[in-house]
Amino acid sequence: MIVRRLFPIVIIILLLPAYLFSLSMTSTQRKMLPLGGEVSYVLPSPLLKITALEFDGLASDFMFLKALTFYGGTLERKERPRVQEVEWRWMYDVLNAATDLDPYFYDPYYFANSNFTWEAHMVKEANTLLAKGNRYREWDWTIPFYMGFNEFYFLHDNAKASEYLMQGSKRPDADPILATLAVRMAYRGNRTEIAIVFLQETLKKTKDKNTRRELGMRLEVLQGVLALERAVETYKSKFAKLPHDLNELVAKGLLARIPDDPYCGEFYLDEDGSVKTTSDLYTTRKK
Amino acid sequence: MKPLFPIAVITFKEGIRNRAIYGISIIALLMLVVNFLISQMIMREVGKVAVDIALSTVSFSGLLLVFFVGINLMAKDLDRKTIYMVLARPISRAQYMVGKFLGMVGLIVVSNVILGGFAAASLFMLSRMYATYFQRFSWPMVVLALAFIMLMLILLSALSFLFASFTSTSFIALVLTIVTYLIGNSINDVKALVEAPQAVGITPSPVTVKVVQIAYYLFPNLSFFDIKSQAAHGLALSSAYVCWTVIYGLVYTCLVIAIACLVFSRREFP
Repeated sequence: MIVRRLFPIVIIILLLPAYLFSLSMTSTQRKMLPLGGEVSYVLPSPLLKITALEFDGLASDFMFLKALTFYGGTLERKERPRVQEVEWRWMYDVLNAATDLDPYFYDPYYFANSNFTWEAHMVKEANTLLAKGNRYREWDWTIPFYMGFNEFYFLHDNAKASEYLMQGSKRPDADPILATLAVRMAYRGNRTEIAIVFLQETLKKTKDKNTRRELGMRLEVLQGVLALERAVETYKSKFAKLPHDLNELVAKGLLARIPDDPYCGEFYLDEDGSVKTTSDLYTTRKK
Repeated sequence: MKPLFPIAVITFKEGIRNRAIYGISIIALLMLVVNFLISQMIMREVGKVAVDIALSTVSFSGLLLVFFVGINLMAKDLDRKTIYMVLARPISRAQYMVGKFLGMVGLIVVSNVILGGFAAASLFMLSRMYATYFQRFSWPMVVLALAFIMLMLILLSALSFLFASFTSTSFIALVLTIVTYLIGNSINDVKALVEAPQAVGITPSPVTVKVVQIAYYLFPNLSFFDIKSQAAHGLALSSAYVCWTVIYGLVYTCLVIAIACLVFSRREFP
């Protein structure tokens, strides 16, 4: 009698470790399957729209979160460049699909603007995405503001930049700085100066601690570049030639010292007389 | 018309007593709690994502209600043969059908009001927590979206009654209802796709195009009732659109119920 009652209990006790063992074995084996990483094919948007049924908005949110969490995961990587080109492409495809599902959703545009430009050097793609947002979010001045900045700072197209900024300045609650910037840009390209103004504006609106730190570092580099550029300008007007290197500026007393690059790079003078830094603002890719 | 009311009340009570309702409510509550978690991960448009999740939750739990409670209300009577007891009374089969449907409508309305109340509560709390990111948020649009979800569920439920009126088991009615829901929600996009296939580079055969076009008239266009993204972004909606969608929903529902009555009154019971 007792044996019969104990039998199932014994079986269960024996099976429990077997269960746990098989679970861990299967999951390790599963990880070794050649499945391709997280970065894979993204369905074309018309098909996504059909499969999302009535939950387009929700699907868009989750596509965005997918790209966001993937990007967040790369922050822990040691290798440089931190994010592969394929992975940037994939993120772009995901964000493009997310904004096809819900073209009014702001976050994918915001994310694309802050990451595809400085880090991924995919400025054209970022602006294509932003153009979609600009078409739909006609009340939003920030999107033409970002587009204008990208055109100006990365693509060196002052005319287009000024056009976008003008468009933005006409939208409700637009920052008055837009109109000023648009005019200044139409005249000449004070790239670094305008970039600093842009970053200061962005910094004012950012609450997140990590983003603030990142933006603050970027701002510090650009302020260093601006100080150096001004010194080079003065040197040129004084001696009618370019200095050999930046140390010469200090030697001639035009600059107290060469500013530090918070990204641990070093400032140097390029052949064309522009000031650059070896850190290239985080990325190691050669321009 | 007299016997309609008692049947409707009985149906409503039967639906409320169904244990599936507890399960559905628990799922809905969990998803509304998830709303708080996901909203924290969003950088800017917290309001939009919160509205997306809240409305989708209401819609999804409403679907579960129609699929797993609604179909049984009608089909159980047939399965268990309790319908003989009802039909032995002096009421017509059409009256029985309409009465049952009205009870189901009551169930949908009540559950939608409760779920909508929870959704609104979660939205209210989130809008207090992240007030800066709720700038384009509008309560009237959220309420309108909830009302549209209710209309869509009523229409779908009418279709489930039609299927239950001629199928022999509730399972077949369930499958037919789910398939109709899937078709009804995607038919608009599919029609757009086959009529302009360059977007994804496919070439549908002329037969496919015809089939899709026929399906477009046959199946309800459920995407009319989906104004979740408009609500999420606080976009304007013309009053004409609202009126015509409501009229479309009511006309389609009445048509389906009329057909269901017709089919049901001709049905032979074993």
